[in-house]
Amino acid sequence: MTELIKQVRVLDPESETDIVADVRLDSGQIAAIAPQLSDRSEDLTITDGQGQILAPGLVDLYSSSDEPGYEDRETLASLTAAAAAGGFTRLALLPNTNPPLDNLPSIQTQQRRYQGLPLRCVPWGAITPQLAGKGMVEYQELAPQVVGFSDGTAMPPLDLLRRILEYLQPLGKPIAIAPVLPQLRGNGVMREGDWSIQLGLPGDPSYSETAALAALLELVAAVPTPIHLMRISTAKSVDLIATAKAQGLPITASTTWLHLLYDTRALASYDPTLHLATPLGNPADCEALRAGVKAGIIDAIAVDHTPISYEDKTVSFAESPPGAIGLQTALPCLWQQLVISGHFTALELWNAISTQPARCLGQAPPRCAVGAAAELTLFDPQRVWTADAQGLRSLSTNSPLFEQQIVGQVVTTYSQHHNQIV
Amino acid sequence: MPATLVWTRRHVLGLADFTASEYDAILQTAASFRAVLAGRTKKVPALQGQVVANLFFEPSTRTRSSFELAAKRLSADILNFAPGTSSLTKGETILDTAKTYLAMGANIMVIRHQQAGVPQAIATELDRIQSGVRVLNAGDGQHEHPSQGLLDLFTLCTTLDEETPRLKLLAGKKVAIVGDILHSRVARSNVWSLTAAGAEVHLAGPPTLLPQGFARLAPVQVHWELEPALRDADFVMALRLQRERMAQHLLPTVREYHRVYGITRDRLQLCRPTVKVLHPGPVNRGVELSSEVMDDPAVSLVSQQVTSGVAVRMAILYALGGDNQPA
Repeated sequence: MTELIKQVRVLDPESETDIVADVRLDSGQIAAIAPQLSDRSEDLTITDGQGQILAPGLVDLYSSSDEPGYEDRETLASLTAAAAAGGFTRLALLPNTNPPLDNLPSIQTQQRRYQGLPLRCVPWGAITPQLAGKGMVEYQELAPQVVGFSDGTAMPPLDLLRRILEYLQPLGKPIAIAPVLPQLRGNGVMREGDWSIQLGLPGDPSYSETAALAALLELVAAVPTPIHLMRISTAKSVDLIATAKAQGLPITASTTWLHLLYDTRALASYDPTLHLATPLGNPADCEALRAGVKAGIIDAIAVDHTPISYEDKTVSFAESPPGAIGLQTALPCLWQQLVISGHFTALELWNAISTQPARCLGQAPPRCAVGAAAELTLFDPQRVWTADAQGLRSLSTNSPLFEQQIVGQVVTTYSQHHNQIV
Repeated sequence: MPATLVWTRRHVLGLADFTASEYDAILQTAASFRAVLAGRTKKVPALQGQVVANLFFEPSTRTRSSFELAAKRLSADILNFAPGTSSLTKGETILDTAKTYLAMGANIMVIRHQQAGVPQAIATELDRIQSGVRVLNAGDGQHEHPSQGLLDLFTLCTTLDEETPRLKLLAGKKVAIVGDILHSRVARSNVWSLTAAGAEVHLAGPPTLLPQGFARLAPVQVHWELEPALRDADFVMALRLQRERMAQHLLPTVREYHRVYGITRDRLQLCRPTVKVLHPGPVNRGVELSSEVMDDPAVSLVSQQVTSGVAVRMAILYALGGDNQPA
């Protein structure tokens, strides 16, 4: 089948391309990109791309799949439907299923579930059995099957982590960690500062993250196993990471879309969907994170899609389980807040949500270039829709944008020869 | 019966955004209800036929009793909810609880919860479904306790002018708030009302219970030593100290706390001779206040606070539920 998308804005961060052109897709490949392509051919579907964006499919670094174990919150089918509707073509999924992905049979079973899904899904393997922060999984056996190792939200104790980093050296797989020292975090549920004082919510000091990060950077300086730093949320962390990268340490880093869009001021609503595993930063943190992503210090923007049921989330802010969904709303919101506002160029944003996440996962990034596989997102930045129970494909609705109007919608996601029409 | 109360606020969730005219409206209305309470019948038909639901997710006897009496004096019907007797542990959400009382016809919900933000979350949902119900925050976590803030304000103002309490009476008065500021919803509400009045507000407590950030919250002075806060103070407000602060490594011992921050007769010598002492209760005798201070009617306003509480809560309920709301 051949499709001609006429006069669409083509973005390709790898070649720094940002042009308006005609694009011909043929048998799952990008056959041609040119200012004008002939539309005189039989068997040709023609799409008017005016005002729309055609760019590489989005890649998410870490989201929760919830199948098996929590299918009332999300299934792999609903997750990938939401992801496709949000422009994603690849997902790396956390091992926090039930049972968790801490052994070969579980991972192989999960790989079989991934087959037949419209998107390319890869698993993170657990760092510790049951994600409990104690002991080691069989890294040698699991390494070929996983994109890397992560316990999701918990950081294993430093003494254990040291040994794991040593052990992983020959395996070539990264370990993904959200830096946090639980002893310093205490019962904090929002980033400590002027706003935690006003709102009367227990504060989590920024040094619960930066002290852990500093320790991690010391470890990786001594034991050069690659680390991906997840959910970076403070201004000081951006500085620490910049310094460590300048020293050549094998680290990559990400923050999440919500940490770029919201800060502690948004918590005046006490909306439990803004209670996150790593708390939202204070206003200066949010600014530093945006600058850090723009400068490439923070490599990528993750979604960290975390479905939680209505019953579990409809409690007080402090008592709610942390996390929010986001695969379907991340792109339009980032586009509005970062690109339309002039903070980022279109290519800078796309680099951070497609090209760089793929690199962090050790994958060749998707491209929007002649000869590349048609792994693409067709995005209409003006189309308006409502993120309500009908509009959201996820089984859960724990989004700060629930029932709000969203400007910008993915029209089509092209992935592995499956066209996901929204 | 107050005839001139003008009130447009739908819910009373905190004092952070209260206006001077709202403070004065509550103070004046409370003064007229105090006269009603001092009279023979003690009751007015202001909220006749209205249902006030006390949703106290966090157990409380004193505040709940005060609200219950206030609602009864206004001739409202009262429903009481307490988690011990509820299905909250069986999967009912906070919104389900509120909607249950909505279905029973509640017009005003008085909500206390151990976590910050719950009254606001319920108010948002009740507005979303256009229920028309008014929400009154009776204390949420460490956030705010507006009715306590207003009754403290009323107690202070009536000390200065018994008949016509008004906000500006406190302009230039020095008020020291002493103790566990960090964990106190009462302190936050007091900071908003006192700074709105133009009082000179001084906070004092150990650094673990009084972060410097409070100085950026509002125009207040932060002291880790008691003396500069008490010097020439017109009023001293002590806060309750929870015993768990020791287990949380925020304080070494109760003994050291009392030695350094306890309000004693000796320490009050630093204040103005007319100084009065307040405490939201219940008092840990010999910790926040020495017994001799607490029991001295020339100094302690603790029982006046409790008495004021009923009139002030009547005023707030009347503001929310009376005929003074715009349609």
